[in-house]
Amino acid sequence: MEALEMYTVDRTSDVYTEELRLNLGPQHPSTHGVLRVELQMDGEIITAARSDIGYLHRCAEKIGENVTYLQYTPYTDRMDYLASMNNNLAWSLTVEKLLDIEAPERSQWIRVLVVELNRIASHLIAFGTYGIDLGANTPFFYAFRERESIMALLEKISGARMLYNFIRPGGVANDIDDAWMDEVLAFCDDFDKRWDEYNRILTNNHIFIKRTANIGILTKEMALAYGCTGPVLRASGVKWDLRRDIPYLKPYDEIEFDVPVGMGTHGTLGDCWDRYWVRMREMRECTSIIRQAIAAIPDGVHMEKKMERMYKTPLTPEPGEAYMRCENPRGELAFYAVSEGGKSPIRCRARAPSFCNLSVLDKLLPGTMLADGVAVIGSLDIVLGEVDR
Amino acid sequence: METLIGVFEQQLGLEGVWALSAAYSVCIGSLLGFITVYAMFAIWMERKVAAHMQVRMGPMETGAWHGWAQSIADAVKLLFKEDIIPSQSNKVMFWIAPAVVFCGVFAGFIVIPFALGLQIADLNLGIFFLISIASIEVIGVIMAGWASNSKYSLFGAIREAAQVVSYEIPTATALLVPILVVGSFRLDDFNLWQEANGWLIFHSPWMMLAGLVFFISSLAGCKRAPFDLPEAESELVSGFHTEYSGMRFSFFFLEEYASMFVASAVMATLWFGGWTIPFVDMSTWTDPDSFGLSDVAVTSIGIVVLLAKTFFFIFVQMWLRWTLPRLRVDQVMTLGYKYLVPWGFVALVMTAIFKYYGWGWFPN
Repeated sequence: MEALEMYTVDRTSDVYTEELRLNLGPQHPSTHGVLRVELQMDGEIITAARSDIGYLHRCAEKIGENVTYLQYTPYTDRMDYLASMNNNLAWSLTVEKLLDIEAPERSQWIRVLVVELNRIASHLIAFGTYGIDLGANTPFFYAFRERESIMALLEKISGARMLYNFIRPGGVANDIDDAWMDEVLAFCDDFDKRWDEYNRILTNNHIFIKRTANIGILTKEMALAYGCTGPVLRASGVKWDLRRDIPYLKPYDEIEFDVPVGMGTHGTLGDCWDRYWVRMREMRECTSIIRQAIAAIPDGVHMEKKMERMYKTPLTPEPGEAYMRCENPRGELAFYAVSEGGKSPIRCRARAPSFCNLSVLDKLLPGTMLADGVAVIGSLDIVLGEVDR
Repeated sequence: METLIGVFEQQLGLEGVWALSAAYSVCIGSLLGFITVYAMFAIWMERKVAAHMQVRMGPMETGAWHGWAQSIADAVKLLFKEDIIPSQSNKVMFWIAPAVVFCGVFAGFIVIPFALGLQIADLNLGIFFLISIASIEVIGVIMAGWASNSKYSLFGAIREAAQVVSYEIPTATALLVPILVVGSFRLDDFNLWQEANGWLIFHSPWMMLAGLVFFISSLAGCKRAPFDLPEAESELVSGFHTEYSGMRFSFFFLEEYASMFVASAVMATLWFGGWTIPFVDMSTWTDPDSFGLSDVAVTSIGIVVLLAKTFFFIFVQMWLRWTLPRLRVDQVMTLGYKYLVPWGFVALVMTAIFKYYGWGWFPN
């Protein structure tokens, strides 16, 4: 409640309007889930904000301490449900580190492929819903058209459309074939054309730029201080991408790709437009990574043979602890697991990027207008399933 | 209207008051019927336009052919819905607000000339009447927002008040420009003038500017995107009609589409020739020498022509709605006061100069 005391209307002057306490959410069209934001409004201007989370808390971390290592993989799907592959990957890497094994070469390339596909799908949602937040409904449907193709592609190899449970400790669930990779390439070619379409309808729209440039400016210092990661951090001008800086999968070392950062093209560095534009450019990088990965993918096994045997009985890693972080579409997702030699970890913890990114909201909102507040929430691109876990 | 009274008095033998009330009933009944049918069609059209812009099909099942009966099904559903009035609301105001909103727009319809002589009230001050009667709607919206006792509704109502009142200035300024050239407030005079001289939009560049100013302001007046701030669904849930449901909600919906029609019809009448066809003198069609059409046939052609033009502008409004993001409150005000009002006045002054010196792209 401190935030509410910080910004108060000057009541010593003879003219002031009464402030209004507005409850934005938890059921609200543009809080992207069950986020509740308590706003203090002076007319249309937000004077103070306090976000209230916890409406989607499902004890995901505690569940991890009560199921086996493998059984927990599907639960990670349901944290950031728009980027399930990436969540699977982070958990699998953690368990692999705990077991002190490494996934086979081919599976690592398959992982890169599916993770980058899922990143495009996740950014497409961010793009589409951001349009809706600002009142442009049509881009949403365009984004969903392409996302549908990605879901169909991933369904072919994993059997599921959204919650894949595909990347597992020791490799991936199924192998991929050349026909599937050709389909992915065809999708990438198609997507690059669609991407130009998106820019024509939304990115370069004058009203859109007016609505997002210079709004919700997140400075570099603030982004670092609050532990923001992913596109939110990069939009503030910090060139930090785990894929590039701490490659957690071998292919990221070999693949050439650029890390887009915000440049303050239409306004100030770190405004809503920058955050949006970083995501858009990342999608193009993703298709480039996918093309390179398909060109370089080696033959081999998709799953460690030793692991397959171990799957028949629950995994029991040696006592120890492991912490692995991955570059998710929303930032760094990290899992921390402590083993005491049992079937399940005695401590399981997830560091969710949306949670840290959301923490700046209370500081970004005061001083903006109600409509800008919606634009700021949308530009942070949070998934409440991950915030509350 | 007068003709209708005459018909009732002479042919049916009704006396004074009775003929008058009979004529009123026929007019209001036919207008209500027209608005309902039109709104249903426009809602269906909106859904189709939106769907095809968004790579989908829209309603396809109801009524077998491209979901033509979807609006009827929706209307029936809304009629049978439970009538919910929030317990903490101001019930009387909550109850009459949709009626007030609808009345304002409904009254606007009575001066629109659908064809030669087909006009319920042939007022000398037709345009003046339109501007003033359209403002009543704001009162209804504010009543709805206030009576709902919801903060979101209140925000929507306040935005509506600020927006619509501001945009009445450019609307009225832009409307003055054709009035200046034609020299009349009577709507049918514009049709006759344009039948003789050509469409007013081609009168001068300033007339085009005035047409643009009017169209943008009318978007704001109809609360259509990108000016749909009063009901901005991503910010205010549903704005001033958040708490409304069932038939009361449908009145707000009806009002939106009806005001779109009025704005588009005024645009078509004042700038684009109304029910006239360019370079064609429709009054000669009744001559046995040319086509020998009956009066009814010529009137019907006039209606079709006006409706075609009107629906074109309605389509443009839908097109914009599904393309553009929404403006912010202060940007709406900036656009209104800093751009549209000066443009409107420039168009007015320049047209006055053109009129004085007899300039323009066709003689006047």
